[in-house]
Amino acid sequence: MIEARELTKRYGDKTVVDRLSFTVKPGEVTGFLGPNGAGKSTTMRMVLGLDAPTAGTVTVNGRAYAGHGAPLHEIGALLEAKSVHPGRSAVGHLTALAQTHGIARKRVDEVIELAGLGSVAHKRVGAFSLGMGQRLGIAAALLGDPEVVMLDEPVNGLDPEGVLWIRNLLADLAAEGRAVLLSSHLMSETAQIADHLVIIGRGRLLADTTVADFVRESGAGAVKVASDEAAKLQALLAGPDVAVTASNETELLVSGLDARAIGQVALRHGVPLHELTPLGASLEEAFMDLTTDELEYRSAPADGRSAR
Amino acid sequence: MTIALERPAEGGNKTRTPVKPVRFRRVLLSETTKFRTIRSTWICLALGLVLLGLFGSIGAFTYDGAGVTDGPPGISGRPLDAVSLALMGLSFASLVVGVFGVLSTAGEYSTGTIRSTLAAVPKRLPVLWAKAILAGGAVFAISAVGVFAAFLIGSVGLDGEAISLSFTDDGVLRALFGAALYLGLVAVFGVALGALLRSPAGGIAALVSILLILPGLAMLLPDSWYDALNPYFPSNAGGAVYALTETSDRLSPGAGIAVFAGWVAVTLAAAAFRLKKTDV
Repeated sequence: MIEARELTKRYGDKTVVDRLSFTVKPGEVTGFLGPNGAGKSTTMRMVLGLDAPTAGTVTVNGRAYAGHGAPLHEIGALLEAKSVHPGRSAVGHLTALAQTHGIARKRVDEVIELAGLGSVAHKRVGAFSLGMGQRLGIAAALLGDPEVVMLDEPVNGLDPEGVLWIRNLLADLAAEGRAVLLSSHLMSETAQIADHLVIIGRGRLLADTTVADFVRESGAGAVKVASDEAAKLQALLAGPDVAVTASNETELLVSGLDARAIGQVALRHGVPLHELTPLGASLEEAFMDLTTDELEYRSAPADGRSAR
Repeated sequence: MTIALERPAEGGNKTRTPVKPVRFRRVLLSETTKFRTIRSTWICLALGLVLLGLFGSIGAFTYDGAGVTDGPPGISGRPLDAVSLALMGLSFASLVVGVFGVLSTAGEYSTGTIRSTLAAVPKRLPVLWAKAILAGGAVFAISAVGVFAAFLIGSVGLDGEAISLSFTDDGVLRALFGAALYLGLVAVFGVALGALLRSPAGGIAALVSILLILPGLAMLLPDSWYDALNPYFPSNAGGAVYALTETSDRLSPGAGIAVFAGWVAVTLAAAAFRLKKTDV
């Protein structure tokens, strides 16, 4: 469990993290979202005691990080992709970390296998691709078999297979009862992995909610349904909180019901479907609406006029 | 105390990996692994050894007793002896081992490794002490081998020359061990400078400036100041411990190494303060 209370970090007169309070609970994946420069990485460094908060506190499993006798057993973290000496091998790096906690060499081999780095375990890390560097960082995070796992932009640089691997890995970790914190600047991607969302902008908390609530409140989460019996299905789906619009005679756009519920209705009434797609794009829009006013680095439109 | 219940097999019987609390001896072992697993460690130590052994022996073999009656120009006009010949490579070696020390700490910052390191050892200071002990110890051992080898090989080359010395002569063992001790401390000095400045380039520049350039710059001082201060500059104070003979413009060997160790200790304390107090 991670508990941040009124956590604040200022550099000179610039406030990077501003009275931020949130909790990362065991048994679920918490998505930590915000645009670039929102203060996600700074917050994560404060969790590990690498940066000292200007004000406020953050604890890991009830204690300040440095107060733990074996911190790698409490929380494992992936910060920047390559916080490893490029001249060292993956085995060398992980062995040195393991030795600080008396962790057996067997565990080093285990996490190397887990991360899929078996074939490059003895190669210099400097020759690793971005994705391999991420995998090594995740191996390091899991080394101490921690109760809390905290990953800063773990899918950066991973190929689709790697993204899927991370998604399953995080779901497994949460299912084992661990607390998982995962930062990202992509809403659609995070919504697929996370149960809970902590959204920040310019260091301030913008939303602390579940993914389901965020989806419902944002009005996003519409589902595209295609069927030869679209008109029949439209009538079947109609309800008080459900809006169904027909884009043409075979396609419907449904909001207020998730894909699962729509599928069940269709099955019950024998309506064949040939497409059932939750739309992520509008979720991304809702996230952007929420954070637009808080953007640290805003891009100007190409024609030079101001954005809003 | 409750008995931990094994959770029924959901994904196989999961037993947690045994993990022990962080202790200094474990940090020491971890830092040994870090030194062992990068190439620059072996390059710096081998280079230091070669510079000491090779330069020292060559100095003795090319020594020509007849040519130095007017005093050699290089060694500040002091009479040449077998020990100073054996230590011909010492200035170069001191730079190499100092750079080795700087890289061991500053390299962690330039590569980002420091974040992994301090996440594993959040008390921070044990990391600095471990690096200082290991770098100092390794360099002392290598240097002792190097200077003794140079002296032994050199004594063959100097056989029959007037300046020839043996281990049993006054001050020889002290000077040779002193040289190894000085180099070990230079490595610790590098460790401290690297941790203090957090940049390999900055650390190396500071090291070279303090050891080599500072004594030269001091010549610009008024004579009376220069005479008073000069023996206390780090490299001059350290130099007193490996000089065979004591002279009036130098500290005694004991005082010299103590002053140099003081410089190192102050720098290390400053590095410890910065490591403990500032963000990484």
